[in-house]
Formats: sequence, structure tokens, C-alpha cells
Amino acid sequence: MSAWDIIRDATPQLVSACIAYTIPIAIVSFIIGLTIAVITALVKISHRGGLFNIVKAFFYFYVWLFRSTPLLVQLFIVFFGLPYLRIAGILPDGIRLTPVVAGIITFSLNTGAYASETIRGAILSIPDGQWEAAYSLGMTKRKVLWRIILPQASRVSLPPLSNEFIGLVKDTSLAASITIVEMFEVSQQIAAENYQPLIMYILVAAIYAVICSVLTILQSYLEKRVSRYSVSN
Amino acid sequence: MINLKNVSKTFGKQHALDNISLQFPKNKTSVIVGPSGSGKSTLLRSLNLLETPETGEYDFNDESIDFSKKLSSKTILNIRRKTSMVFQSFNLFPHLTVLKNVMEGQVQVLNKSKEEAKEIAEQLLDKVGMLDKADAYPSQLSGGQAQRVAIARSLAMHPEYILLDEPTSALDPEIELEVLKVLLDLAKEKQSLVIVTHNLTFAQRVADKIVFIEDGKVGFDGDTKDFFESDDQRIKDFLAAMTLQNI
Repeated sequence: MSAWDIIRDATPQLVSACIAYTIPIAIVSFIIGLTIAVITALVKISHRGGLFNIVKAFFYFYVWLFRSTPLLVQLFIVFFGLPYLRIAGILPDGIRLTPVVAGIITFSLNTGAYASETIRGAILSIPDGQWEAAYSLGMTKRKVLWRIILPQASRVSLPPLSNEFIGLVKDTSLAASITIVEMFEVSQQIAAENYQPLIMYILVAAIYAVICSVLTILQSYLEKRVSRYSVSN
Repeated sequence: MINLKNVSKTFGKQHALDNISLQFPKNKTSVIVGPSGSGKSTLLRSLNLLETPETGEYDFNDESIDFSKKLSSKTILNIRRKTSMVFQSFNLFPHLTVLKNVMEGQVQVLNKSKEEAKEIAEQLLDKVGMLDKADAYPSQLSGGQAQRVAIARSLAMHPEYILLDEPTSALDPEIELEVLKVLLDLAKEKQSLVIVTHNLTFAQRVADKIVFIEDGKVGFDGDTKDFFESDDQRIKDFLAAMTLQNI
């Protein structure tokens, strides 16, 4: 069998695993992660004190925790570890998650922790004058955020967030270790059958590269779209 | 009518506003002048509650605010809907077109329909001579154009008072004129204005009353004519310095 025959036979299986797991897991995790990130960023920049400080401390702890531990270890804890979190009366059987659910939860929380810092930085980069102008029109803080600050912050954070999404697509390969049959896991299985690890792993790397290249093109298209207003004559 | 009684604010140890009592009458143009760092911007921003003084009373028509108590957000929004700021650095919303900048407050705060807001925005842009740039983004405007749009954005809120914080200080003298003309027109129409400015020629021309602030205190509060003919040595020195007479 020539290398081309191997590639021709394996590619459809890899692509179908990619469509069934890699891409959906990445997209769903990113959307949830981004939601968590916006909430986390807003809590962190809030000036509210009192009992709200407890909420703030919780979010600081969350970001610290997920940025200070390896993603692979996080996946292991959530999937292999949580079933042993047995609390008499409340959780007699621990927390048992399906591999995909465990993967999405972990990827979402991990993305949320990193992206929250990106979004926080982007919000803080918007000049005070924008807040003041909107406040002086009589807008509530919520409206200032949604109508004036976040639209501008999203433009600022688009390049780093695109980076994070591309990183996430590649990180989904770690899901192979918690028994999800995503693209990298399929490539390992085929390599075990046909004894062609070099070809198989280069092939799967190439498919990741193609996906990420498409995303990079999409990123520059989006950047052009949202930066319409910054072109000067 | 805006009426301030014994209003004070400190930044650290410095008295930004030191026991200020003042009135800003309706349908008149009040001009606040004074040296840099004298507290005149703080005073103006306090009228819009972008700054909150620590003590004193702020009466707006028949509502009264006591600064020594915590202000409710309802009070703050209420005052902001009646007063509208124009900033030295314009602070237009860069992600919105000129037209949408003028529509935003009307739709989001006054709950007007988009059609109605658009019609009003177009009228006001026409008034300030910026209708032909309605679809441009702020980054495509000159400073004078941006400030005229900012004035239209303020007018769109139908505020009782427009507060202008050094509206032409960031502009070249030639471009400054196009903004000053718009302000003179507003003054003629009896729009209530409170203007902080360094341009004394303009102040003399437009002001119904002058407030001179120095070290957070009111150094003069009265007729424009009386101010420019004052015998007070401090005011004389200030006028001489501003008009380069003592160089």
C-alpha cells in the first residue's frame, strides 16, 4: 500500500470524527466559555463592594485555578476524578459525566478563565470619555456596557479571542485521553491497525492545520468587518 | 434654574470646590472662566453628576439634592436627562455613524422610535451643518466637525441645560470658529448654556453672566460687562494674562 492509498483510506474517517466531535466540541465550548468570560470580566471590573466581594473572590479563585493547572489534568479530574467525589446523602455515587459532557465543561471553564482576562483588558482599554459621554446622555450602566463599551471592546479583543479559539480547536485533541473518539483518537486507532504512525500523525496534523488556516482567514475577514469605523479618509 | 448652595469637593487634600454657591439661570448663557486647575471643570461636571461633591445642595428647578447623602441612581439619571455634556475631546461613539451617534440617546434613553429619532437627528445635523456627513464615522471627521456632531447629540436629548467643558480647546483657531458660531446661534435661541472656556473674546460676546473660579472658590459672579471692567486686581491680572497684555 502506498502512502497515498493510506491517506485516501484514512482521511474520510478522520474528517468524519472531526465533524462529529472536534469541531462541535470546540464551538460549543467556545460559546459557553465566552459567556463565562464576559460574566467573569464584568464581575472583576465591578466597583461594587460589600457582600459582592465574596462573589468577586470566587471569580478570582476560578480564574487562578484554571490558569494555574494543566488542561490535561483538568480533564482527568473532571472525567476520571469526579465519580469519586462521594458525599453521603447528597452525592452517594459521585458525579458521573459522559466523556463529551466532561470535555465540554472542562474546555468551557478553561477558555472562560483565559478569555475573561482578554475581555477585561479590552473593556479597560476603552477610554473613560466613552463611559462619561454615555452616562451624560442618561444611559444606565447596563446600557452603557451593552451599547457603547462592549461593541468597542469586542473589536479590541477579536484578535486575541481568535487566537484562543484556534488554540482550543487544537486542544480538543486532549479529549482523546478521556475516551472521546475525536479526530486525534481516530488517527491513533488507525495507526495501531496499519502500523503507519508517521503518515497517520502527519495526516492528522495537516487536517488541524487546514482547519486553523481557514479560521485565520475568517479572523481577518471579521477584523475587516468590525474595523469599518476606524478607517479614515 | 440651577442653584448650588455651599458645594464642596476635595481630591485628596486639595479643595477642588470650596464652598461654592452659584446660580445658573434658565435661557441664559453662563460662562465659567478661571486659571487651569481652578476647579471650573469639576464644577461643570458636578452639574451633570459625573462628579459628586461631598457636601452642599444642588437645586434643579424644584428638586433638591443633598450631596452629603448617597444619591440614588434614579436621582442621578433624572439630572442627567435634564443636563447634557459636551466634552473637550468630543467623545463621540467611534463604532456608530454620525447619524447613529445622534440617535443613540433618543432611542436608548428617551425611548423614541428609530424613525422619529432619525428625523430629529437629521434636523439637528442640518442645524449644525453636518447633515452631509450623516453616514460617516467619527474617525472620518475633523475636530470641528466632531464637536458639532457632539453638540447635535446633546441637543437631541432636549436637555434643559447644555454643559460645555472647554468645547473648543482642542481645535485650531480657524476651526474653532465653526463651533463658536453654532454656540452663538444656540445662545440666541435662548437655549440654557453653561460653558467653561479659555476664549475670553468668545465669553465676552456670548455670556449673559460670568463666573470666575479660582482655587475652587467663586472669585466673581455677575454681569459680563462688570467682569471685564472689574477693579479687582486678581481679575485684572487674569484678564491681562489671558490676553497676553503683560508679556
